[in-house]
Amino acid sequence: MNSNNLNHIASIPPISRLACPDCDLIQTIPPLADNEVAHCIRCGTTLFKQQKNSINRSLAFAITGLILFIISNLFPLLSLKAVGLTQESSLLSTAFALFDVNQLLLGIVILLTTFIFPATTLLGTIYILMQIKMNRINCYTAPLFRFLRSTDAWGMLEIFLLAILVAVVKLGDVADMIYGVSLYAFCLLILSLSLLSYSLNPQDVWNKLRDSNGCSG
Amino acid sequence: MTTARQAGLIACHFCHTLSKLPEGMEAKTQHELTLGKAIMHCPCCQSSLHSRIPHSLSRTWALLLAALILYFPANALPIMTVIYWGEGQPDTILGGVVHLFAEGMWPLALLIFIASVFIPILKLIALFSLLISVHLKMQWRPKDRTVLYRITEFVGRWSMVDIFVIALLVALVQFGNTASVLPNLGALSFAAVVILTMLAAHSFDPRLIWDAIDDENSIRNDESL
Ligand SMILES: [Zn+2]
Ligand SMILES: [Zn+2]
Repeated sequence: MNSNNLNHIASIPPISRLACPDCDLIQTIPPLADNEVAHCIRCGTTLFKQQKNSINRSLAFAITGLILFIISNLFPLLSLKAVGLTQESSLLSTAFALFDVNQLLLGIVILLTTFIFPATTLLGTIYILMQIKMNRINCYTAPLFRFLRSTDAWGMLEIFLLAILVAVVKLGDVADMIYGVSLYAFCLLILSLSLLSYSLNPQDVWNKLRDSNGCSG
Repeated sequence: MTTARQAGLIACHFCHTLSKLPEGMEAKTQHELTLGKAIMHCPCCQSSLHSRIPHSLSRTWALLLAALILYFPANALPIMTVIYWGEGQPDTILGGVVHLFAEGMWPLALLIFIASVFIPILKLIALFSLLISVHLKMQWRPKDRTVLYRITEFVGRWSMVDIFVIALLVALVQFGNTASVLPNLGALSFAAVVILTMLAAHSFDPRLIWDAIDDENSIRNDESL
């Protein structure tokens, strides 16, 4: 570990010149019009999306998402009525139900993918976008964004929604299903999460973090 | 047409910032930088810099073989037991699909079949062939292989749907002896298969596909000089 090495690195400032993440080809991105997308000329990977107001819109979707995430966790998603009993299930209770039947590892997987990773993604994204907007980028902003990007694939709420649909169809004929308040909030949450991932432009955020040089010390 | 590696640059895996290699250091192979003691850090996001993901091939092989081994218990063992009026009936992944089909819920059967049977097999085959094609330095259709890699990386997560369905059923159907659902070891193995193949896809570096083409081209250029 030699931090002195940083002195040897001459970083190349204009980001219009970059190496394709999938095939390593260096290319220069021409100035793009709004909503234009630059693809790698060799392998076709998306290199850059030009979007106006991407930070503001992403922040709005992330805050909406966080509110809906909290509501989704406050009330039951689904309830099942049978033999005079009602069984409720929410996001967290699904993971805890597995702990109760001694499936610790499976419970941890569910807890991470449906609660911990989505929660950190929402909170972290809001924090970073706020820092960018208020121009208060510090040493930890870029590493935090790096962490969020690398855990992005492990938040699986949209897959959980599909699983809810499957469970509803499966149990539909057998028992009475009651849709909880949270289910509607949860559907809207998935909508705002997909809008967030559509409007958030990681390259744009990286450019801002790079320019700010928040960690020159 | 120059790659970052040929130009003596390293692109950060996360923020894509280009950094220049120190004098006398060349990013010829994926190992060279990590072997050459000095670990460089990205000036933008502080991650350690590598021209290629370190030990990408051996890591992908290890994770993929582990996934392949667990694939057998995941399919052979029951994933859950449905207890109905005191009688338990264990179900495997394929058994569950057949049940749904027999009950006439064929759209659901098709969905579970695609997510739990088709995608995992497709992922294993795709990653194995990508690894072998890189080992053989194949020149064949690099663009299509990159697309295959991107699809593999994208669809893999959706196999988790069956695990979530089991978790929901366990949480919802808790009526003691009248009706309840218990997860079995097959579910854990299947979750492990999905997670391991996801990790395998993440550790594969698609730039290795293009390195074979770039190396071939530079040899050809050297000969023509
Ligand atoms: Zn490319
Ligand atoms: Zn970086």
